[in-house]
Amino acid sequence: MTQQDSKIYIAIPAFNEGEIIDKVISKIKSVGFDNIIVIDDGSSDETFLKASEAGVVVFKHLINRGKGAAVKTGIEAAKILSADIVITMDADGQHNPADAERMIDLIHSGYDVVLGTRLKKGKGMPSYKILANYLGNFFTWLIYGLWVSDSQSGFRAYSKKAIYLIDTKTDRYEYDSEIIKEIKRNKLKFVEVPIEVHYTEYSMNKKHKQNLKNGLKTLIKMIISE
Amino acid sequence: MPEKISILQIILGAIALLFLINGFLKFVRNEKGQTYFKILATLFIWGNILVFSIFPDLTHIFSRKLGLGENLNTLIFIGFVVIFAILFKLLNIIEKLERNISEIVRRQALNNLKDKLKEK
Repeated sequence: MTQQDSKIYIAIPAFNEGEIIDKVISKIKSVGFDNIIVIDDGSSDETFLKASEAGVVVFKHLINRGKGAAVKTGIEAAKILSADIVITMDADGQHNPADAERMIDLIHSGYDVVLGTRLKKGKGMPSYKILANYLGNFFTWLIYGLWVSDSQSGFRAYSKKAIYLIDTKTDRYEYDSEIIKEIKRNKLKFVEVPIEVHYTEYSMNKKHKQNLKNGLKTLIKMIISE
Repeated sequence: MPEKISILQIILGAIALLFLINGFLKFVRNEKGQTYFKILATLFIWGNILVFSIFPDLTHIFSRKLGLGENLNTLIFIGFVVIFAILFKLLNIIEKLERNISEIVRRQALNNLKDKLKEK
Protein backbone atom coordinates (compact mmCIF):
# COMPACT_ATOMS: atom_id res chain seq x y z
CA MET A 1 0.00 0.00 0.00
CA THR A 2 1.43 3.36 -0.96
CA GLN A 3 1.10 6.56 1.02
CA GLN A 4 -1.44 7.88 -1.49
CA ASP A 5 -3.59 4.73 -1.25
CA SER A 6 -3.81 4.59 2.53
CA LYS A 7 -6.49 6.42 4.41
CA ILE A 8 -4.74 8.50 7.05
CA TYR A 9 -6.65 10.18 9.86
CA ILE A 10 -5.29 12.70 12.35
CA ALA A 11 -7.11 12.54 15.71
CA ILE A 12 -6.87 15.60 17.97
CA PRO A 13 -8.28 15.56 21.51
CA ALA A 14 -9.21 19.11 22.52
CA PHE A 15 -10.39 20.63 25.78
CA ASN A 16 -11.02 24.37 25.85
CA GLU A 17 -8.71 25.03 22.89
CA GLY A 18 -11.08 27.44 21.10
CA GLU A 19 -8.38 30.08 21.03
CA ILE A 20 -6.01 28.01 18.90
CA ILE A 21 -7.76 24.96 17.41
CA ASP A 22 -8.48 26.58 14.02
CA LYS A 23 -4.80 27.52 13.62
CA VAL A 24 -3.71 23.97 14.54
CA ILE A 25 -6.12 22.53 11.96
CA SER A 26 -4.92 24.97 9.26
CA LYS A 27 -1.30 24.01 9.96
CA ILE A 28 -2.10 20.30 9.63
CA LYS A 29 -4.01 20.92 6.40
CA SER A 30 -1.11 22.96 5.03
CA VAL A 31 1.17 19.92 5.10
CA GLY A 32 -1.35 17.86 3.14
CA PHE A 33 -3.54 16.05 5.67
CA ASP A 34 -7.25 16.50 5.07
CA ASN A 35 -8.78 13.72 7.15
CA ILE A 36 -8.83 15.35 10.56
CA ILE A 37 -10.93 14.29 13.54
CA VAL A 38 -11.30 16.67 16.47
CA ILE A 39 -12.75 15.38 19.72
CA ASP A 40 -14.09 18.19 21.84
CA ASP A 41 -13.78 16.75 25.34
CA GLY A 42 -16.62 18.68 27.00
CA SER A 43 -15.18 22.15 26.41
CA SER A 44 -17.00 25.17 27.77
CA ASP A 45 -15.55 27.52 25.14
CA GLU A 46 -15.88 27.67 21.34
CA THR A 47 -13.71 24.64 20.56
CA PHE A 48 -16.55 22.69 18.90
CA LEU A 49 -17.72 25.67 16.83
CA LYS A 50 -14.23 26.69 15.70
CA ALA A 51 -13.30 23.13 14.73
CA SER A 52 -16.60 22.65 12.85
CA GLU A 53 -16.02 25.89 10.95
CA ALA A 54 -12.56 24.65 9.96
CA GLY A 55 -14.24 21.87 7.98
CA VAL A 56 -13.14 18.78 9.88
CA VAL A 57 -15.00 15.88 11.48
CA VAL A 58 -15.84 16.94 15.04
CA PHE A 59 -17.19 14.88 17.91
CA LYS A 60 -18.31 16.22 21.23
CA HIS A 61 -18.10 14.57 24.62
CA LEU A 62 -21.04 15.85 26.67
CA ILE A 63 -18.80 16.05 29.74
CA ASN A 64 -15.04 16.19 30.17
CA ARG A 65 -13.59 12.67 30.34
CA GLY A 66 -9.88 13.33 29.91
CA LYS A 67 -7.27 13.17 27.18
CA GLY A 68 -7.14 9.38 27.05
CA ALA A 69 -10.89 9.02 26.69
CA ALA A 70 -10.92 11.65 23.94
CA VAL A 71 -8.08 10.00 22.00
CA LYS A 72 -9.88 6.67 22.24
CA THR A 73 -13.06 8.26 20.85
CA GLY A 74 -10.96 9.61 17.96
CA ILE A 75 -9.46 6.21 17.26
CA GLU A 76 -12.89 4.54 17.42
CA ALA A 77 -14.21 7.14 14.96
CA ALA A 78 -11.25 6.50 12.64
CA LYS A 79 -12.03 2.77 12.77
CA ILE A 80 -15.64 3.44 11.74
CA LEU A 81 -14.30 5.61 8.89
CA SER A 82 -12.07 2.70 7.75
CA ALA A 83 -8.75 4.38 8.51
CA ASP A 84 -5.52 2.57 7.60
CA ILE A 85 -3.31 4.79 9.74
CA VAL A 86 -4.24 6.97 12.70
CA ILE A 87 -2.02 9.74 14.00
CA THR A 88 -2.72 11.39 17.33
CA MET A 89 -1.58 14.94 18.05
CA ASP A 90 -2.08 17.50 20.81
CA ALA A 91 -4.44 20.41 20.21
CA ASP A 92 -2.28 23.16 21.70
CA GLY A 93 -0.04 23.49 18.66
CA GLN A 94 3.12 22.12 20.28
CA HIS A 95 3.62 19.46 17.58
CA ASN A 96 4.88 20.02 14.07
CA PRO A 97 2.55 18.14 11.66
CA ALA A 98 5.40 17.86 9.16
CA ASP A 99 6.91 15.19 11.48
CA ALA A 100 3.89 12.97 10.70
CA GLU A 101 5.21 12.19 7.23
CA ARG A 102 8.20 10.29 8.61
CA MET A 103 5.87 8.42 10.98
CA ILE A 104 3.67 7.36 8.06
CA ASP A 105 6.73 6.15 6.13
CA LEU A 106 7.70 3.99 9.11
CA ILE A 107 4.20 2.51 9.37
CA HIS A 108 4.38 1.69 5.66
CA SER A 109 7.75 0.05 6.20
CA GLY A 110 6.15 -2.42 8.62
CA TYR A 111 5.98 -0.85 12.08
CA ASP A 112 2.71 -1.09 14.00
CA VAL A 113 3.26 1.91 16.25
CA VAL A 114 5.50 4.95 15.86
CA LEU A 115 6.08 6.93 19.03
CA GLY A 116 7.12 10.54 18.71
CA THR A 117 9.82 11.33 21.25
CA ARG A 118 10.57 14.82 22.46
CA LEU A 119 13.67 13.75 24.34
CA LYS A 120 15.77 12.63 21.40
CA LYS A 121 15.81 16.18 20.06
CA GLY A 122 15.25 17.78 23.43
CA LYS A 123 15.27 21.19 21.85
CA GLY A 124 12.90 23.73 23.37
CA MET A 125 11.80 21.47 26.20
CA PRO A 126 12.00 23.02 29.68
CA SER A 127 14.32 21.12 32.07
CA TYR A 128 11.55 20.41 34.60
CA LYS A 129 9.54 18.77 31.82
CA ILE A 130 12.56 16.63 30.87
CA LEU A 131 12.87 15.49 34.50
CA ALA A 132 9.12 14.79 34.77
CA ASN A 133 9.35 12.80 31.57
CA TYR A 134 12.17 10.62 32.89
CA LEU A 135 10.07 9.92 36.00
CA GLY A 136 7.12 9.05 33.77
CA ASN A 137 9.33 6.72 31.73
CA PHE A 138 10.65 5.05 34.89
CA PHE A 139 7.21 4.36 36.36
CA THR A 140 5.89 3.21 32.98
CA TRP A 141 8.77 0.73 32.82
CA LEU A 142 8.26 -0.34 36.45
CA ILE A 143 4.51 -0.89 36.13
CA TYR A 144 4.15 -1.92 32.49
CA GLY A 145 7.58 -3.42 31.84
CA LEU A 146 8.68 -1.62 28.67
CA TRP A 147 11.25 1.19 28.47
CA VAL A 148 10.64 4.03 26.02
CA SER A 149 12.31 7.42 25.87
CA ASP A 150 9.07 9.46 25.97
CA SER A 151 6.17 7.63 27.56
CA GLN A 152 4.04 10.78 27.77
CA SER A 153 4.18 11.99 24.19
CA GLY A 154 0.82 12.54 22.53
CA PHE A 155 2.23 12.51 18.98
CA ARG A 156 1.99 8.91 17.79
CA ALA A 157 1.05 6.90 14.72
CA TYR A 158 -0.77 3.58 14.62
CA SER A 159 -1.25 1.03 11.88
CA LYS A 160 -4.65 -0.57 11.19
CA LYS A 161 -3.44 -3.70 13.00
CA ALA A 162 -2.49 -1.64 16.05
CA ILE A 163 -5.77 0.27 16.34
CA TYR A 164 -7.70 -2.99 16.32
CA LEU A 165 -5.41 -4.73 18.84
CA ILE A 166 -4.84 -1.92 21.32
CA ASP A 167 -7.52 -1.96 24.01
CA THR A 168 -7.12 0.86 26.49
CA LYS A 169 -9.16 1.41 29.62
CA THR A 170 -7.77 4.57 31.18
CA ASP A 171 -9.21 8.04 30.59
CA ARG A 172 -6.71 10.68 31.50
CA TYR A 173 -2.96 11.23 31.15
CA GLU A 174 -2.20 7.64 32.18
CA TYR A 175 -3.51 6.69 28.74
CA ASP A 176 -0.17 7.54 27.15
CA SER A 177 1.59 5.01 29.39
CA GLU A 178 -1.14 2.42 28.91
CA ILE A 179 -0.42 2.45 25.19
CA ILE A 180 3.12 1.31 26.04
CA LYS A 181 1.62 -1.58 28.02
CA GLU A 182 -0.59 -2.50 25.08
CA ILE A 183 2.40 -2.45 22.70
CA LYS A 184 4.10 -4.98 24.95
CA ARG A 185 1.01 -7.11 25.55
CA ASN A 186 0.19 -7.39 21.85
CA LYS A 187 3.87 -7.72 20.83
CA LEU A 188 3.50 -4.82 18.40
CA LYS A 189 6.48 -3.68 16.38
CA PHE A 190 7.28 -0.13 17.44
CA VAL A 191 9.87 2.53 16.88
CA GLU A 192 10.59 5.93 18.39
CA VAL A 193 11.25 8.95 16.21
CA PRO A 194 12.46 12.35 17.34
CA ILE A 195 9.82 15.04 17.00
CA GLU A 196 9.99 18.78 17.17
CA VAL A 197 8.11 20.47 20.01
CA HIS A 198 7.20 24.07 20.19
CA TYR A 199 6.15 25.22 23.64
CA THR A 200 4.30 28.47 23.22
CA GLU A 201 3.23 30.87 25.93
CA TYR A 202 -0.30 29.60 25.27
CA SER A 203 0.55 25.92 25.83
CA MET A 204 2.65 26.65 28.93
CA ASN A 205 -0.08 28.72 30.58
CA LYS A 206 -2.88 26.24 30.05
CA LYS A 207 -4.92 25.54 33.19
CA HIS A 208 -5.29 21.80 32.65
CA LYS A 209 -1.77 20.86 31.60
CA GLN A 210 0.12 18.03 33.30
CA ASN A 211 1.77 19.14 36.56
CA LEU A 212 3.20 17.54 39.71
CA LYS A 213 -0.21 17.03 41.33
CA ASN A 214 -1.65 15.51 38.17
CA GLY A 215 1.52 13.46 37.78
CA LEU A 216 0.95 11.84 41.17
CA LYS A 217 -2.70 11.22 40.29
CA THR A 218 -1.56 9.63 37.04
CA LEU A 219 0.83 7.35 38.93
CA ILE A 220 -1.88 6.23 41.38
CA LYS A 221 -4.27 5.54 38.51
CA MET A 222 -1.61 3.55 36.68
CA ILE A 223 -1.24 1.33 39.77
CA ILE A 224 -5.02 1.01 40.33
CA SER A 225 -5.70 0.20 36.68
CA GLU A 226 -3.39 -2.80 36.94
CA MET B 1 7.84 -26.87 60.64
CA PRO B 2 5.91 -26.06 63.83
CA GLU B 3 4.84 -29.04 65.92
CA LYS B 4 1.09 -28.30 65.82
CA ILE B 5 -0.74 -26.76 62.88
CA SER B 6 -4.33 -25.60 63.39
CA ILE B 7 -7.13 -25.93 60.83
CA LEU B 8 -7.15 -22.14 60.41
CA GLN B 9 -3.46 -22.20 59.50
CA ILE B 10 -4.09 -24.96 56.93
CA ILE B 11 -7.02 -23.05 55.36
CA LEU B 12 -5.09 -19.76 55.24
CA GLY B 13 -2.01 -21.50 53.83
CA ALA B 14 -4.08 -23.30 51.18
CA ILE B 15 -5.78 -20.04 50.11
CA ALA B 16 -2.42 -18.25 49.88
CA LEU B 17 -0.95 -21.14 47.88
CA LEU B 18 -3.94 -21.08 45.54
CA PHE B 19 -3.53 -17.34 44.87
CA LEU B 20 0.23 -17.76 44.40
CA ILE B 21 -0.19 -20.57 41.85
CA ASN B 22 -3.00 -18.70 40.10
CA GLY B 23 -0.95 -15.47 39.89
CA PHE B 24 2.12 -17.32 38.67
CA LEU B 25 0.19 -19.25 35.98
CA LYS B 26 -1.49 -16.04 34.76
CA PHE B 27 1.91 -14.40 34.43
CA VAL B 28 3.49 -17.40 32.67
CA ARG B 29 0.57 -17.57 30.23
CA ASN B 30 0.99 -13.82 29.60
CA GLU B 31 -2.72 -13.22 30.21
CA LYS B 32 -4.18 -9.73 29.78
CA GLY B 33 -3.13 -7.22 32.45
CA GLN B 34 -0.14 -9.22 33.69
CA THR B 35 2.98 -7.23 34.52
CA TYR B 36 6.16 -7.62 36.54
CA PHE B 37 4.67 -5.24 39.10
CA LYS B 38 1.58 -7.40 39.52
CA ILE B 39 3.48 -10.69 39.85
CA LEU B 40 5.90 -9.13 42.36
CA ALA B 41 2.99 -7.75 44.41
CA THR B 42 1.25 -11.15 44.30
CA LEU B 43 4.41 -12.98 45.37
CA PHE B 44 5.05 -10.48 48.18
CA ILE B 45 1.52 -10.36 49.65
CA TRP B 46 0.45 -14.01 49.28
CA GLY B 47 3.98 -15.29 49.90
CA ASN B 48 4.03 -13.47 53.23
CA ILE B 49 0.58 -14.80 54.16
CA LEU B 50 1.72 -18.35 53.34
CA VAL B 51 4.93 -18.04 55.36
CA PHE B 52 3.21 -16.45 58.38
CA SER B 53 0.36 -18.95 58.31
CA ILE B 54 2.85 -21.84 58.56
CA PHE B 55 5.26 -20.09 60.92
CA PRO B 56 3.07 -17.77 63.04
CA ASP B 57 5.88 -17.33 65.60
CA LEU B 58 7.74 -15.29 63.01
CA THR B 59 5.24 -12.44 63.65
CA HIS B 60 6.57 -12.11 67.22
CA ILE B 61 10.15 -11.89 65.93
CA PHE B 62 9.12 -9.26 63.37
CA SER B 63 7.04 -7.37 65.95
CA ARG B 64 10.10 -7.12 68.18
CA LYS B 65 12.43 -6.22 65.31
CA LEU B 66 10.00 -3.57 63.99
CA GLY B 67 9.65 -2.18 67.47
CA LEU B 68 5.92 -2.88 67.63
CA GLY B 69 6.35 -4.68 70.94
CA GLU B 70 2.96 -5.54 72.32
CA ASN B 71 0.39 -7.55 70.41
CA LEU B 72 -2.15 -4.70 70.58
CA ASN B 73 0.19 -2.55 68.53
CA THR B 74 0.49 -5.34 66.01
CA LEU B 75 -3.29 -5.47 65.77
CA ILE B 76 -3.48 -1.73 65.20
CA PHE B 77 -0.82 -2.04 62.53
CA ILE B 78 -2.78 -4.83 60.81
CA GLY B 79 -5.91 -2.66 61.09
CA PHE B 80 -4.19 0.10 59.13
CA VAL B 81 -3.13 -2.37 56.46
CA VAL B 82 -6.72 -3.58 56.15
CA ILE B 83 -8.03 0.01 55.90
CA PHE B 84 -5.54 0.74 53.13
CA ALA B 85 -6.57 -2.44 51.32
CA ILE B 86 -10.25 -1.39 51.52
CA LEU B 87 -9.36 2.11 50.31
CA PHE B 88 -7.48 0.62 47.39
CA LYS B 89 -10.45 -1.58 46.52
CA LEU B 90 -12.83 1.41 46.68
CA LEU B 91 -10.57 3.44 44.38
CA ASN B 92 -10.61 0.50 42.01
CA ILE B 93 -14.42 0.43 42.00
CA ILE B 94 -14.59 4.20 41.37
CA GLU B 95 -12.13 3.78 38.49
CA LYS B 96 -14.37 1.13 36.90
CA LEU B 97 -17.40 3.43 37.24
CA GLU B 98 -15.43 6.25 35.60
CA ARG B 99 -14.61 3.96 32.68
CA ASN B 100 -18.27 3.10 32.26
CA ILE B 101 -19.19 6.79 32.20
CA SER B 102 -16.52 7.40 29.53
CA GLU B 103 -17.89 4.56 27.43
CA ILE B 104 -21.42 6.02 27.58
CA VAL B 105 -20.10 9.49 26.63
CA ARG B 106 -18.07 7.94 23.76
CA ARG B 107 -21.01 5.99 22.36
CA GLN B 108 -23.20 9.08 22.49
CA ALA B 109 -20.52 11.12 20.68
CA LEU B 110 -20.09 8.51 17.94
CA ASN B 111 -23.81 7.83 17.43
CA ASN B 112 -24.22 10.63 14.90
CA LEU B 113 -21.35 9.31 12.78
CA LYS B 114 -22.82 5.82 12.65
CA ASP B 115 -26.24 7.27 11.70
CA LYS B 116 -24.71 9.39 8.93
CA LEU B 117 -22.81 6.41 7.51
CA LYS B 118 -26.01 4.33 7.55
CA GLU B 119 -27.85 7.07 5.64
CA LYS B 120 -25.17 6.96 2.92
